[in-house]
Amino acid sequence: MTLKGGTSQACAACKYQRRRCTPECPLAPYFPADQPKMFQNAHRLFGVSKILKILKHLDPSQKKIAMKSIIYQANARDKHPVYGCVAEIQNLLFSIQLCEEELQTVHAQLAFYRQQQQQQEISSTISDTVSQIQLGMPPPAIVAAPPPANGNGLTLFHQDAPSQYNVASNATLPVQSYPSYSNNSYAAFVDPKENNVVNSLWIQQSYGNSVCNNNTMIMQSQLPASQTIVVPQEVTQDYDDIHHPFFDTIDDRQSYIDSKEAYDSSSESSLKDTRQSVEHVADNELKNAAACFSLTSINE
Amino acid sequence: MASSSCYNSPCAACKFLRRKCLPGCIFAPYFPPEEPHKFANVHKIFGASNVSKLLNELLPHQREDAVNTLAYEAEARVRDPVYGCVSAITFLQRQVERLQKELDAANADLMRYASGNDMSSAPLIGPHHQQEIGSTLHNMALSRRMGYDHHGGGYFPYSPSSWNDQNPSGGGGGENV
Repeated sequence: MTLKGGTSQACAACKYQRRRCTPECPLAPYFPADQPKMFQNAHRLFGVSKILKILKHLDPSQKKIAMKSIIYQANARDKHPVYGCVAEIQNLLFSIQLCEEELQTVHAQLAFYRQQQQQQEISSTISDTVSQIQLGMPPPAIVAAPPPANGNGLTLFHQDAPSQYNVASNATLPVQSYPSYSNNSYAAFVDPKENNVVNSLWIQQSYGNSVCNNNTMIMQSQLPASQTIVVPQEVTQDYDDIHHPFFDTIDDRQSYIDSKEAYDSSSESSLKDTRQSVEHVADNELKNAAACFSLTSINE
Repeated sequence: MASSSCYNSPCAACKFLRRKCLPGCIFAPYFPPEEPHKFANVHKIFGASNVSKLLNELLPHQREDAVNTLAYEAEARVRDPVYGCVSAITFLQRQVERLQKELDAANADLMRYASGNDMSSAPLIGPHHQQEIGSTLHNMALSRRMGYDHHGGGYFPYSPSSWNDQNPSGGGGGENV
């Protein structure tokens, strides 16, 4: 209904109700005349009086946002007369689930490739070490290896999957806690045969505020940053062959360092020379040990 | 389904409205007298007449779900008059966006490993495996975007739009009624 002599058109709300649209019409800013369906949906679900009642208790700054959410809710109910907004929530939850499954798969693949890469590096280091020993060069420093990655990325999302749904039942601002109408949850009045999203929404009701942040932190990769190398088995075996049983008590590293000094002084750097120099060092060690402990006989 | 016998005690709706609960009361099966808050919230936000009209437009086997979702939305609106249940939708949309970004980054890493290993002397995955990875990821992405409801409750064949960028047209019903 247009005003007499005026250029402004009646809003969709006043048009629908067939009444005069005044400049002070509270619904005019939210229901433009060219979108009648929007108001029809809102009117059908809420009604004008209920909408005005909701807006009445809000600050002017919040009214626009509230109307947007009301209109969204009404449109969702029009699209889905049975489930309304819950249909949207269900779709989103399903999308999240698929994304997480996909992410799990990709992370598992990445863990596999990283493990392969580590093994390749280890094998290449071993071959380098062996070749360096053969050439008479000092072997590289040896450090401990990390535990193998067992697809930790998988367990992260398994553990965190429930908490993703938990958070779904909370609002972003503020965090909401929705009470149950039956013994434990809304699940009681949802048909269990349907097994729809309302079940999953209400069964998991945890109201932690920091779940989102925790999920953000937890979802990062936990694979170790540093790469370390295991003591190569082939190298130690040589020393085991030439060791006197007494030397089992000696730190392998110490004998290694001693033999390293022997390497430096030796002109010929072959494996045979290494054994000889270690034996030489071992003899000296025996004598010193005997002096310290006053051994009467070695053969005893 | 909680039903209340109107012969013994009126349903929560009739109690609240202070009227006689007749045998054919449309609210009685869904608003038991033991749960007065349920109807109180629904009436506060939507109004009994609107709910009654909505239920009358639905088939009997759909009404319980409709009431439950209305109760959920009403509760959300009572607790948060500004956002209502839309806050949960917003939060979930952000979750989806974040996961998709993470997924894109992880996929980029994976492709880098795959292509990098291909160039090395001992490729870790063969071309067949690469195709498998690609097709698996593609199928998962496709099913994700189609928005299938795998719970069997219904099929919602549209992608959830951001509630802030509202499509003004209401659209037709997307559910199987």
